[in-house]
Amino acid sequence: MDDVVLTSEDKAALEELRSQLDRYEKSTANLIPILQMIQEKVKFLPPAAIKMVAGFLEIPSSQVYGVATFYNQFKFNPPGKNPIKVCLGTACHVRAGDIILENFERKLGIREGETTEDREFSIDRVACVGCCALAPVAIMGKTVHGHMAPSKVEGLVMRVQIEREKAERERQKNESGQN
Amino acid sequence: MVKILVDNKHIEAEDGANLLQTCLDNDIYIPNLCYLNDGQIPFAGCRLCYVQINGKPVASCTQKVAEGLEVQTDTPEVRSLQKAAFRLLLSVHDIKCKECPANKRCELQRIGKFLKVGLKVKGLEVRLKDPGLDSGHPYLLIDQNRCVLCGKCVRVCQKKHGHSYLTFAKRGFETVISAYRQPEESPLNFSECTACIDICPVRALLLKDV
Amino acid sequence: MSQGKIKTIDEKFGAIFAEAQRRKNEREAKPVPKIHIGLATCGIAAGAMETKASFEESLAQRGIDAQIHPVGCIGHCYAEPWVIIENTEMGFPPIFYPKVTAGKAKMLTKLYLEEGDPRLEHILGAMEENEMIPTVWEFSRFSEEKRIVMNLCGKIDPDDIYEYIAEEGYVSWAKALKGTPEELLNLVKDSGLRGRGGAGFPTGTKWEIAAKHDSSKKIVICNADEGDPGAYMDRTILESNPHQVLEGLALSAYAIGADTAFIYVRSEYPLAVKTIQKAISQAEEAGLIGKDILGSGFDLEIKIFQGSGAFVCGEETALILSMEGFRGMPYPRPPYPAETGLQGVPTVINNVKTLALVPPIVKNGVSWFRQIGTENSPGTAIFSVVGNVTHPGLVEIPMGISLRSLIFKICGGIPDKKKFKAAQIGGPSGGCLPEEFLDIPIDFDSLIEAGAMIGSGGMVVLDEDTCMVDVSRYFLDFTQKESCGKCTFCRIGTWHLLSILQRLTIGEGKEGDLEKLEQLSRDIKEGSLCGLGKTAPNPVLTSLKYFREEYEAHIKEGRCPAASCRPLTAFYIDLDKCARGCDACVGCCPVDAVFTTSNRKKGIDQDLCIKCGECKVHCPPDYNAIFKISPPHLAPVIERPKEEKETS
Repeated sequence: MDDVVLTSEDKAALEELRSQLDRYEKSTANLIPILQMIQEKVKFLPPAAIKMVAGFLEIPSSQVYGVATFYNQFKFNPPGKNPIKVCLGTACHVRAGDIILENFERKLGIREGETTEDREFSIDRVACVGCCALAPVAIMGKTVHGHMAPSKVEGLVMRVQIEREKAERERQKNESGQN
Repeated sequence: MVKILVDNKHIEAEDGANLLQTCLDNDIYIPNLCYLNDGQIPFAGCRLCYVQINGKPVASCTQKVAEGLEVQTDTPEVRSLQKAAFRLLLSVHDIKCKECPANKRCELQRIGKFLKVGLKVKGLEVRLKDPGLDSGHPYLLIDQNRCVLCGKCVRVCQKKHGHSYLTFAKRGFETVISAYRQPEESPLNFSECTACIDICPVRALLLKDV
Repeated sequence: MSQGKIKTIDEKFGAIFAEAQRRKNEREAKPVPKIHIGLATCGIAAGAMETKASFEESLAQRGIDAQIHPVGCIGHCYAEPWVIIENTEMGFPPIFYPKVTAGKAKMLTKLYLEEGDPRLEHILGAMEENEMIPTVWEFSRFSEEKRIVMNLCGKIDPDDIYEYIAEEGYVSWAKALKGTPEELLNLVKDSGLRGRGGAGFPTGTKWEIAAKHDSSKKIVICNADEGDPGAYMDRTILESNPHQVLEGLALSAYAIGADTAFIYVRSEYPLAVKTIQKAISQAEEAGLIGKDILGSGFDLEIKIFQGSGAFVCGEETALILSMEGFRGMPYPRPPYPAETGLQGVPTVINNVKTLALVPPIVKNGVSWFRQIGTENSPGTAIFSVVGNVTHPGLVEIPMGISLRSLIFKICGGIPDKKKFKAAQIGGPSGGCLPEEFLDIPIDFDSLIEAGAMIGSGGMVVLDEDTCMVDVSRYFLDFTQKESCGKCTFCRIGTWHLLSILQRLTIGEGKEGDLEKLEQLSRDIKEGSLCGLGKTAPNPVLTSLKYFREEYEAHIKEGRCPAASCRPLTAFYIDLDKCARGCDACVGCCPVDAVFTTSNRKKGIDQDLCIKCGECKVHCPPDYNAIFKISPPHLAPVIERPKEEKETS
C-alpha cells in the first residue's frame, strides 16, 4: 500500500476532492458514497485518500480501510490507461472466457488485478456484463469486444501499442519541427 | 424468570436471556470463540457453540431463553458440527504450541481437549498466510496464522473507545485483522489500554518490544 | 379516506393521465416511419449506439423524416442489436429486425424506408397480424411467454414517464392511495405473491410484520444488488421500465407506512443508476412521489444507494450494514429487518421483480394473478437463459411450465446438434439438473425439491461438451471469492471445497476426495451463518449426485469425459485428414505450437500447446482434422522435424 507512487495528476485530483467533501454530512452512512466518488475520479484509493476520508468523517483510518477492502469496487493500485476487463460471467465461462483472460495475462505479462509497469494496461475480471449472446466478451476501455478468441487478443493489444507508437512519433516529429 | 432444561439439568434464567451465557453461568461448557457478553447482537461467526433444540442444531449464542426450552449440548449432530468447524479453524492455524505464548491457556487447546480432537488435522490441506506476521503497527504485532478471526479485539476496542482502531480487512478467505498504518491518530500507547491484547483467546495480538 | 380526498386524487391523476394520452396520440399520429431501437446495456454492448447513429446519418442524408424511438431491452439477447420499424404509411405492419448492424441500418434506410422494400430475408417477423408477413408470434420464443413484469420492456422509452403512464402506469398507485394501507396489504397477502429474490418468502407476510410495528419511522428498500454472475434481469427491468419498479416500491411503502424508500443498485450498473435517477425526478415532478402525493396526504421520498460490489450484500442484514457504511458481514436474525433494520427502524426489503409484480396485481386483482402460475407459486418467473442454447436471453414464463418447454420450445434447444447435459438453475446458490428432470414444473417448491432453486433466476444450459466438475469449480470459485469471511464454515470450508475441485480439474484428484467434498458440503450447508454459505455447496452436491461418474473419471483415470478440463485434454491433428498446404492452424495458434511436418502436414507440439482450441475452430470444415482427446496421453505423437528446431 505504501509503495503506491502518486502522479501529479493523482495529487491534483485528491486536492480537488478534498474541497468537495463538505457536500457530505459527516455520517458513517456517507462513507461508501464518498469512497465511490474518489474511486470514480482518481480510479483508485491511495493511502492519502483513506486518511483524508477518515479525517473528514472523524473515524479511524483503519475503519475506512476495513470497509474499502471489503468491496470489489475499490481498487488500491492505479489502473492502466487501457483497462481490460474480461467477463467471466457464467455464459462466458461456458464459452471459455478463462482462456481469453489467460491470453491477456500472458501477452501483457501481468496477472488479473495488476497493472503493467508503464501503466498502459491493467487486467480485471468482471462478472456478467449482460452480453451473454456475444460470449466470450472482453472490454477494453469502453469498447465491448464480443466473440473473443485467443487470436484476437494479440490484435487488440497490438492495436493500442501501434497507436501509441504512432502518437509518439507524431509528438517527436512536432517537437523536432518546432526546434 | 423462566425454567429451561439443559441436558436433563433444570435451570432458571431470565426470559429472553442469551442461551450460551445462561449455560456458561450454570457451569455447562459449550465451546465458543467469538462470543462476548456485551448485550450486542451476537457475532455468531465461529460456529462452535452449537446445541440441539427440537432435533435441530442451533448456534446457542443466537438463541434466547424461553419458558420450557429443552436443550441438548451433547448429541452426535452437535459434536459433528463442532468438530467440523474446529478442524476447519485448525487447517489455517500455525500449530506451534510449544513456541506459542498462549500455550496452556489457549482456547483452541481447551476446545480440542473438550471435543477430544487432536490439534494436528488429518485429511485437510493446511494453508497458512504468507507473510503471517503483520508488524506494520508501531506497537502491535498481529500473527495472522494464529488469529481465529473471532473479532473480539475489534468489538472490545469499539466499546471502549467509541471507534475501533482495529478492523477486519479484505474479505473471505483473505480476511485479516488489521491495525492499518496510521499510528499518529491512534490513542493506543498501550500503557493505558491493552484491551484487544487481553481479550484475544489465542494470543494472536502481541505488544512489540519497543 | 374522505370523499373529498378521493376526488382530489382522481382529478390530479386524471390530469396526468390525460396528458400522457395526449402525448401518445400526438406521437402515433405523426405520419412518419418509427424506428424503435433497444438501448439497454446489452443492446449498447452489441453495438446499438452505432446502429442508431447510422440510422440518423442515413436518414439525414436521404432527407427522410422518421422518428427514432429509444426503448429498453426486449430480452431477446440473440437478436441484439434489434430494431422494430413501423412503416404504416407504406402499408406494412411493424417489423422486427434482428442483428441490425450499422451497415444493415444504412441498407434498411435506403431499401425499406426510401424504396419500400422491407428486405424480408433480414426480418424475424411482423409484430402484428397481417396478410403479408409471418408474425413473431408464430415463434414459441414470443408466444409462450407470459409477460407481466417485462410487458413494457422494449416497448416504451424508459426516460419518459408519460410513456409509462399512457400504458396505465401509476394507475394502481392512484387506486391504492384512494384506499387504506390495510386494504392494499390484504390484497398483496391474498394474491399469494412470493418474493422473487431467491427464497420465495410470502411478500404480504413480510410487509405485515413491518406494518404492524408501531414505529413512527419505517423504510422500504428495493434490492437491485444483482450479483449472480449469469443473471441480469433486474438491471434490464430498471433500464427498460424503471417506473413499474418505482410504482411497486411506492405501493410497498404505502402498505407498511414508510415515508422513505431506497433503491439499492449496483454501481457497476451505471446506465441503470442513471435511468432510475431520471425516473425518480420525473415522478417527483409529476407529483407521484414526494410530499402530499396527489393530495392524499401521504409523503414518500425515494433515494438511490449504490452498492459497491459484494455478492453477500444480497443478504438483507449485510445490505443494511453496507448502507450504514460498514463491511457487509451478515448478522444473525432475529432481530429481523422488518422489526429492526436500517437505522434501527422497521425495514422491508424486496427484490426488483417482486416490486414490479405489485402494480399489475393491484390493477387486475387477486383472482387474475392467481390464475397465472401454480397454486403455491402464483404469477410469473423471469429467467436469464444463457449458455449452450439457441435463443438466449430473458424469458418471463408462467410458473409451472416444464423445464423442457423453457429450454427446448421457447429457447430453441441446444445449438450445433449437441446433446443436452444439464441445466444449472439459480446460479451460485442453485444446482445442476440432468435430463431426467426436464419435465418437472418450474416453481419455487419443485425446484428446491429437485436440489436447485429459482434463486436469482440465472439458468445456464449445458451441452455434452461441458464438464460438470468444472462447472462446480466455477461456481465455487465465485462464492469462495464472495464469502464475507465472517463465519468459519463459509470462510474456510468453501476454500477447501474449491481447492479439492481445483485438484480434480487438473488431474490431481485422490481416492476419498468425493467423500470429503460431500462431508464438507453438508457441514457448510448446516453450519454457515447466512444464506450465502448455506447454499454455496449446492452446485457441488447436485452435480455429485447426478454426475458422480464424471467426478470419478477425473480421479481414477485422469480423464475428463467432456474433454473440457485442459490439463486432462490434448489436441491432435489427424494426419489422414490434414491437407497439405493449408496453414490455417499454424497462423491462428497464439503460442506457435503448431508446426509443419516433413510432408507439409501439421502437428501440435504438446509441450507448447495451451489447449485454447483456436486451431480446431480455424481448421476448414472440409478437413476437420483437429481432435480433442482425454486423457492427453492418448493423443498420437507427431515429432517436430529436427531441422525446424535448429532454425528456431
